[in-house]
Amino acid sequence: MKFTSRHTAAAIGVTLAAATLTGCTEEVGGGGPAAAAGACDPADVTLVGQVRNESNPYEAAWLDGGDTFAEQVGLTQQRLTYDGDSTRQQEQISQLLAGDTECLVMNVLPNGDSDTPPIVEGAEEAGAYLVTQWNKPADLNVTDYDYWLSHITYDGVESGRQIGDALAEAIGGSGGVIALQGVLDTGAAKDRFAGFEESLAANPDVELLDDQTANFSRAEALEVTKTLLTKHGEDIEGIWAANDDMALGALEALQQAGRTDVAVVGIDAVPDALTAIEEGSMTATVSSDGPWQGGIGLAIGYCVATGELAAGDIADEDRAWFAEQFLIDQDNVADFVSPETTESDFACDNLFSRSQGAMS
Amino acid sequence: MTVTSPADADLEVVHARRPRPRRGVSLRDAGPPVALVVVFGVFAALSPGFRTLSNVQNVLDAAAVLTVVTCGITFVLMMGSIDLSAPGIMGASAIAVALLVANNRNDNDFGLLGVVVAVLLGAGLGCLSGLALVTLKVPSFMTTLGISAVGLGVATLMFAGVQPNVSDRMLEGLAVERFLGLAHLTWIAFACVLVGWLVQRYSRLGRYAFAIGGAEEVLALSGVRVAPYKVAVFTMAGAFYGLAGVMVTSQLGAGLVQAGKGYDFSAIAAAVVGGTLLIGGRGGILHSAVGVLLVTVLTNGLVQIGVSPYWQGGVQGLIVVAAVAAAVIPQRRRNQVTK
Amino acid sequence: MTTNLSRRPEPRVPASAPALEVRGLVKHYPGVKALDGVDLVVRRNEVLGLAGENGAGKSTLLKALVGLVRPDAGEIWVRGEKVRLGSITDAANHGIGMVFQEQSLVPNLTAAENIVLGSEGPGVRHGIYRWNTLRRLAQEQLDKIGSHIDPLARTDSLTFADRQMVEIAKVLRIEERTSHPPVIILDEPTSVLESKEIETLFTQVRRLREFASVVFVSHRLDEVLDVCDRVAVLRGGRSVGEVPAAEAAPAELHRMMIGSTGSDDHYHGAAAERRDEPRRPRLVVRGLSGRSFRDVDLDVHAGEIVGIVGVHGSGREDVCRALFGAEPTTAGDVVLDGEKLDLSGTRAACAAGVGYVPAERKTEGMVGPMSVADNMTLTKQKSRCTGPVVRPGKQAKLVDGWIERLSIRTPDRGTAIQRLSGGNQQKVVLARWLVAGDVRLLLLDHPTRGLDVGARSEVYRLLRELANQGVAMVLLADSLEEAIGMSDRIVVMSDGRATTEVAAPTGDKPTPLDLVKEMV
Repeated sequence: MKFTSRHTAAAIGVTLAAATLTGCTEEVGGGGPAAAAGACDPADVTLVGQVRNESNPYEAAWLDGGDTFAEQVGLTQQRLTYDGDSTRQQEQISQLLAGDTECLVMNVLPNGDSDTPPIVEGAEEAGAYLVTQWNKPADLNVTDYDYWLSHITYDGVESGRQIGDALAEAIGGSGGVIALQGVLDTGAAKDRFAGFEESLAANPDVELLDDQTANFSRAEALEVTKTLLTKHGEDIEGIWAANDDMALGALEALQQAGRTDVAVVGIDAVPDALTAIEEGSMTATVSSDGPWQGGIGLAIGYCVATGELAAGDIADEDRAWFAEQFLIDQDNVADFVSPETTESDFACDNLFSRSQGAMS
Repeated sequence: MTVTSPADADLEVVHARRPRPRRGVSLRDAGPPVALVVVFGVFAALSPGFRTLSNVQNVLDAAAVLTVVTCGITFVLMMGSIDLSAPGIMGASAIAVALLVANNRNDNDFGLLGVVVAVLLGAGLGCLSGLALVTLKVPSFMTTLGISAVGLGVATLMFAGVQPNVSDRMLEGLAVERFLGLAHLTWIAFACVLVGWLVQRYSRLGRYAFAIGGAEEVLALSGVRVAPYKVAVFTMAGAFYGLAGVMVTSQLGAGLVQAGKGYDFSAIAAAVVGGTLLIGGRGGILHSAVGVLLVTVLTNGLVQIGVSPYWQGGVQGLIVVAAVAAAVIPQRRRNQVTK
Repeated sequence: MTTNLSRRPEPRVPASAPALEVRGLVKHYPGVKALDGVDLVVRRNEVLGLAGENGAGKSTLLKALVGLVRPDAGEIWVRGEKVRLGSITDAANHGIGMVFQEQSLVPNLTAAENIVLGSEGPGVRHGIYRWNTLRRLAQEQLDKIGSHIDPLARTDSLTFADRQMVEIAKVLRIEERTSHPPVIILDEPTSVLESKEIETLFTQVRRLREFASVVFVSHRLDEVLDVCDRVAVLRGGRSVGEVPAAEAAPAELHRMMIGSTGSDDHYHGAAAERRDEPRRPRLVVRGLSGRSFRDVDLDVHAGEIVGIVGVHGSGREDVCRALFGAEPTTAGDVVLDGEKLDLSGTRAACAAGVGYVPAERKTEGMVGPMSVADNMTLTKQKSRCTGPVVRPGKQAKLVDGWIERLSIRTPDRGTAIQRLSGGNQQKVVLARWLVAGDVRLLLLDHPTRGLDVGARSEVYRLLRELANQGVAMVLLADSLEEAIGMSDRIVVMSDGRATTEVAAPTGDKPTPLDLVKEMV
């Protein structure tokens, strides 16, 4: 009896939750897209870019890109950083939303997936135009909101595959490689490794000798690589790393072991990795183009706020999409050492040109 | 004995049956070394790669930084305090040394002097932990956590957005160049263990740290001022962390704010596995060194025998718990107070 | 042993000045006047006993003498010279040292280190230990008292009595700081020693007298009279008199301590009246064996108190713990009221109605910072709970009832137990087994250890009452006299075996000597 009653209770709970959820969705949807049609004077628009930390070169470049766009339209960008502290990020957002939100445009890097919903809800309520990047829960749909214009992210599977292919090419299409995975329970680590496995399938002569995690850390990558170098020795011809920090750690291990014949690839295009590619000690990395990310989020919001682009005209597939990323190797590394954006990238009719397709 | 009576004779008999007074190392301390030998033996049997000379060298090299951090933390644990400041102090010293030797950020080239300054910076931060502990009477758990944050703050300020990459030959050489098959850093770690052991065995600082962990109030009743020794122990620990930060920088060729990330708990775990218990007054440098080796051999061995990375964390945890449990079996009866 | 005497330099001050003199010492604590004008004279080469009930000011006085307490008024003179003792080091520099009641040795250091702790002298140079010198220094100290302990043995591996020797050796280090004969204070040195060990200690005290003055504090008046030359009595923070030990009797001292003629014969309660017809034994132990005892047989009837006596190492403590499931057994049967008692753990014992009052009250008997109420209901959770929920009202009613019945002196039931006096703490520990009302057998391991005369009497009275209500008890007494006075029957243990059983009915008590013959 007890068992049954517990089941009943659970069933009721689920039903209630479902009812509540549907209720919410309908209510929001009922507001209609008309609410998000902007008619702001371009001079009245407030542009805000928010990232974790300016001491991170990538995120600093992101804010610089935002400045570039702001200059382009004769405005200035408000630069916000929250030191990777979720609470601080929420506080900053609530402060912004408590002020004048009529022509507010925010380009936000949420600290984690779970930080996105409150930001989105806040912006929706206050009527502030919002673009988010990288992190959002899979079940939070942009199309359910009016002021959350777009969510941009990158296809980790694609990055993992791209550098995997580059690695295969660098070792002449055949040979032994090892993989350094990121923090195993993160989406980024899983996607990137899945992409690498695709690449391995396409290059049957490349043999994965070992895969270990180094938790995205340079120091751990150093130790793991040293161990794997003693384990597999000369068989290792290439190292695939799920980010550049680990790739740089692997490079140190190779240097300490006196090995110069091993190809190393990573992801993120951090400055040290670009230097290493320039010098020839590293083979390839993948860039998401930080300055463009900083500009494009503001550009989407600006175009909608000024009425140049109606929110309703943004196709559903452009509400949550994968942006194009660039494989950097020795041939094109010079272009990325000091990346630049062009004015046409942020034109209101060219906003979604880098889309690689909607998020699945 | 001035009076000899049948009663005294009986007393002697009773005494003789009691455990002999202990001097030095006893069976009670044998658990962790035995566990180390067993774990080593099992891996050697399972993996041909593990038992190669080059892998043994690799294990010792890999243990170097953790050994130095653990040297520092051991003295604090012996006192019955705890120290979580390693990440902050290591971060600060890592960035400091990277900026003081030849690097890509500025024109400094102080070489060895830079290393000394970084170690002193660590000692200074450690000293602050100790002072906060004895003057403000804040528990070491909180003071050291605070000092860790201070260290990370200092490191972030010096970091200033651009990572300093080291081009100093001497510093880079420590990780690359070898003597008798082992990296210079590994010899530095050996030296630290030796120094630590000498301090523990032959210095008043070391013996008092041990005594503070055993019965702090007794020291006070014996007319010893405990506070200066506490501060000194934290200072010494800070110096060890500072050196560890320099070593990480040497290995990575760059100064990282996160140079010491995770080392606080790894070092505490290694010390405890080796028999330097959190209650204080137990164990010592050699115990902790065995603990470091045990942990490092495990990490290396699991990779060598090809355990999936998805399993490694769990398997490692299980083995550590099993090793500690095996180590305390000889002590378990002691927990029952027998008067 | 006369070598020590011969190398003592002659004192510079007139021989008439006493070794130590206290004049009108006053110390107030908030709400309490701990010392109210104490005068005390310690002569050279004498053993002075200091007697007084708990709260008479003994410990405050002793602390003042070693610089741990700063008196509000009064003077301390050392060998005719007025001194100010600001710290324990000051006191040591004036040749005053103390062996503390709670042993004050660092357990994880060697005996040698403990002996020289804080005054290592040439044993440590520039912060570096010189072990050979250190060992030699310690050996010298141990030789002074004729102890054969290995100076490099770890202190926690020594027996209690040996540790006490280490402690005395340590205190004698103050001789290095002064050219005068030292004053050694022994605070309750015998409270946890067995009789043999006490005898050894007394030999040492007499030896100390040859070159030092000794202040000896003990609750056991017979001991005080045995070892001391003179006894000074404190009461309510004042000196109430002193007597030459040779002329005094315990009863007289006791009268001085409590201020009136107290009944000294607290154990000799009327036990016979409750006797009714012989019954089946409540507890039957047959062939019980464990690590330190073999083949122990024991019967205890309802309402009977059976004392177990034996020298240190006889295994009686372990038998007691084994009956509570706290010590492993290898063989034997224990039957309680016809049912086999499960000795696998303390839980089973508790459930069967067995209660245990441990010897180490402070560490095993109570949770210091917890309240009286929580300590009292610690074991029998159902006495204060309904299911997993603590019901404060239920608990309060129960606890208040027992506080009243046992006249436990506590501000209220929420007071932390560690703030109570020893006797009241012990009553709470006893009450823990009474709250559920189902206790059938009480195992009492030194229930009066560290209690003063008054508190002891109360505990004795309480035990008597419980016996009259039919609770069976096994008693490990603090002294032979206590065992004889309290028990109806006494089992003698020696070398882990129960060797003899002696009946001890009221009116026909054996003498201590009878028992000692059996014990050794």
